[in-house]
Amino acid sequence: MRNDMQGFTKTLKIALAGNPNAGKTTLFNALTGAHHKVGNYPGVTVEKREGSVRRGGREYRFVDLPGIYSLTAYSIDEVVARDFILDEAPDLIVDVLDSTNLERNLFLCLQFQELGIPVVGALNMSDEAQAKGIDIDEKALGAVLGLPMAKTVGPKGGGIDRLLDLIDEAAGAGDGADKTIRYGSEVEDRLEPLERLIASDARFASRFPPRWLAVKLLEKDAKAYERLADHPKAAEIGRLAKSSIDWLEKHYAKDAEIVISEQRYGYIHGAVKESVRIVKKPNFSLTESIDKVIMNRFLALPIFVAVLWGVFKLTFALGEYPMAWFESFFGWVSELALAAIPEGFLRSLLVDGIIGGVGGVFSFVPLIVILFFLLSILEDVGYMSRAAFATDKVLHAFGLHGQSVFPMMLGFGCSVPAIMAARTLKSRRDRIVTILVIPFMSCGAKLPVHVLFAAAFFPKRASEMVMLIYAIGVALSLVSAWALRKTALRGDPTPFVMELPPYRAPTLRGVLWHVWEKTWHYVKKAGTVILASAILIWAITSFPVSEPSEAELESLAAAFSAEHPEAAPEELEAYLETAAAEYSLERSAAGSIGKFIEPAFRPLGFDWKIGVASVTGFAAKEVVVSTLGILYRVGTEESEESESLREALQRDSGFTPLIAFVFMLFTLVIPPCFAALATIRSELGWKWLGFAFAFMLGLGWILGFAVFQIGSVLAAS
Amino acid sequence: MFVSDAPAGASFKVKRVLLDKEVGKRLADMGFTEGAEGAVVRGGFLRGPFQVRIRGYDILIRRSEAAGIEVEPVGDWSAARDARGRGRGFRHGHGRGCGCSE
Ligand SMILES: Nc1nc2c(ncn2[C@@H]2O[C@H](COP(=O)(O)OP(=O)(O)OP(=O)(O)O)[C@@H](O)[C@H]2O)c(=O)[nH]1
Ligand SMILES: [Mg+2]
Repeated sequence: MRNDMQGFTKTLKIALAGNPNAGKTTLFNALTGAHHKVGNYPGVTVEKREGSVRRGGREYRFVDLPGIYSLTAYSIDEVVARDFILDEAPDLIVDVLDSTNLERNLFLCLQFQELGIPVVGALNMSDEAQAKGIDIDEKALGAVLGLPMAKTVGPKGGGIDRLLDLIDEAAGAGDGADKTIRYGSEVEDRLEPLERLIASDARFASRFPPRWLAVKLLEKDAKAYERLADHPKAAEIGRLAKSSIDWLEKHYAKDAEIVISEQRYGYIHGAVKESVRIVKKPNFSLTESIDKVIMNRFLALPIFVAVLWGVFKLTFALGEYPMAWFESFFGWVSELALAAIPEGFLRSLLVDGIIGGVGGVFSFVPLIVILFFLLSILEDVGYMSRAAFATDKVLHAFGLHGQSVFPMMLGFGCSVPAIMAARTLKSRRDRIVTILVIPFMSCGAKLPVHVLFAAAFFPKRASEMVMLIYAIGVALSLVSAWALRKTALRGDPTPFVMELPPYRAPTLRGVLWHVWEKTWHYVKKAGTVILASAILIWAITSFPVSEPSEAELESLAAAFSAEHPEAAPEELEAYLETAAAEYSLERSAAGSIGKFIEPAFRPLGFDWKIGVASVTGFAAKEVVVSTLGILYRVGTEESEESESLREALQRDSGFTPLIAFVFMLFTLVIPPCFAALATIRSELGWKWLGFAFAFMLGLGWILGFAVFQIGSVLAAS
Repeated sequence: MFVSDAPAGASFKVKRVLLDKEVGKRLADMGFTEGAEGAVVRGGFLRGPFQVRIRGYDILIRRSEAAGIEVEPVGDWSAARDARGRGRGFRHGHGRGCGCSE
């Protein structure tokens, strides 16, 4: 009774753990009302996330963890999950089990039970199991294994109440340490003295359950040996573990850790046999039929390329119209502002700075929405693991890994989550290489730059041009991965072991939420970082104010008339207006800074404005567009007619199609925005950040230089 | 015999995993233990990855891993090979037995 009361008043810290792709995040979202990222790919969640619910006066604090197959962790995301469970002492573990794949899922469950923490099993995907004819008697299974179980259906929230009831009961009932698996007498005889020796130190035993540690020692788990070091009798225990391992290995003629795994599977197999019936054997599986084509030996790779191509083609095709609407909307708004506000700084700030800058970025929202929608669909159906299958061979040849595909594809959306997704790569070297090449996957924020320039300078082939940039990005990532693997990151190839989930219908709600989140992020960025930098850029382009003197204007007019003797007076006037604006711009703070950095950009064919625009891209890549918007519209404000940025760029003499192409290329290759750089730092540290920065900047400059110089020579001949 | 020798559609029973510690243990944790039934669904083409069904789910592994999993053929491997040779793909029936009942 007392126990019950105690259990009831306090907040419960509950770990949601289980195999990758078992539906932990889906269940977490259903429990807490959160909207964290779900995807039909093993390894979507790479960090822990908390959320709570209240029910009947009790607070349940759920922690969604990355997926693990075993408490022996290999990759960083797995370490996060294991360390949480071992070190942060959750009150209870909800083991999320994929009901269609019980044996492998229960393997981890047995290890949770050994920890002496109460475990509740969520038999998730029970809808799929039923469809497949797998009939699970959860009472019987729970009784054999010694833990309460409830059937759940994550996306619909089915079984959630029952699960919470079981959590209440289990939290009150104390741990289930007596219910752990028996490994058979040969192993048990080795475990028993080890456990006893570990338990001899009460303080230590209260931190680490002796039985669990004893098993882990026999499994040669490095982390377990680290923990053991705190034990006063560490040396003695270590010796005993060693001799036990030797005995087992001699007796079974295989590695001790394999013996333990086999014993677990044997036990599970028995338990499952008693409580799970296959009521029908399906003779048709949709996944298999689709995979006959998608994973066909000849077609898999071409299909992957076609899918990528299709995603971008569709993005442009569908995005074109709404983008045009946005553009005319902002054109209309700025005309309105021009008419309503008297000439002066306020008008200039509003029209040139805010509408010209931020509006220019806003116009690209439709593209971002469509791109994220399509990428998210691919992820949710389960295509990403097929992509890993299709490309492993090619990626391997370049020193990458099949599992690099998922982070790299995310990189087409945004580098930040992509860089974090690389945590699922087991080898540090693979992970570093993958992270270093992710920025070459042209992200959603660079897309506006490419689209703007392609439309302005290659109007007939705009989408092909953008595709070309994407293709160059992919090629660069492969070549640089190869180069890195030959130099700084040499090493043996690492294994490729990855589960292949079945296809699943994407949950529209999840996809739409994800797209909404990304879009909102983009819009918010437009309202904050981009707005702030637009105002800043406007300010440094407008101040200090300097107008050309009468004498200077006269000499400009004379020069123009000498060059164009038959020009009409209006033309002269228009020219003078532009020239005057250009004069002020060049003498503004931005002009001085631009002129200062111009020498670095000249060899690439860039004038100072282009230089300034590319530097501001570090704040966020969309800022390149807003900066250009401000720099190129300053000259047109007096004419009281709105002109799209595209037209302004076309008209400018500083740009030629060659320079436009070099600029797109340069934007693609140079270091990503601050947010992505910060992520590289937090994932890999300063050293690799420095390397990445220098590498990308150097490569971008050299490529830009080479293409511009060669292109100029070709154009001249 | 090893998984890498199995033609698409061939069923097998795992004997043991002969791979170094980390991968070996991981494969054992994922279900490749003595006596487990499985089947090669597809793969090995041009040294690309294999898709293997084990304990009722599918896993992708490279040839180097497949070559380290010693197995005992179940059924007639040459029949699976022939079926593939005639371009009919692998036989569904073969790989199915390894669901939740062994
Ligand atoms: N049919 C069905 N699908 C489900 C269920 N639960 C989750 N899913 C789907 O399974 C896939 C994986 O779900 P997630 O919640 O991302 O799985 P996870 O365990 O968090 O995966 P990781 O974070 O990668 O370890 C998604 O496509 C979900 O929509 C369920 O009960 N039934
Ligand atoms: Mg998750």
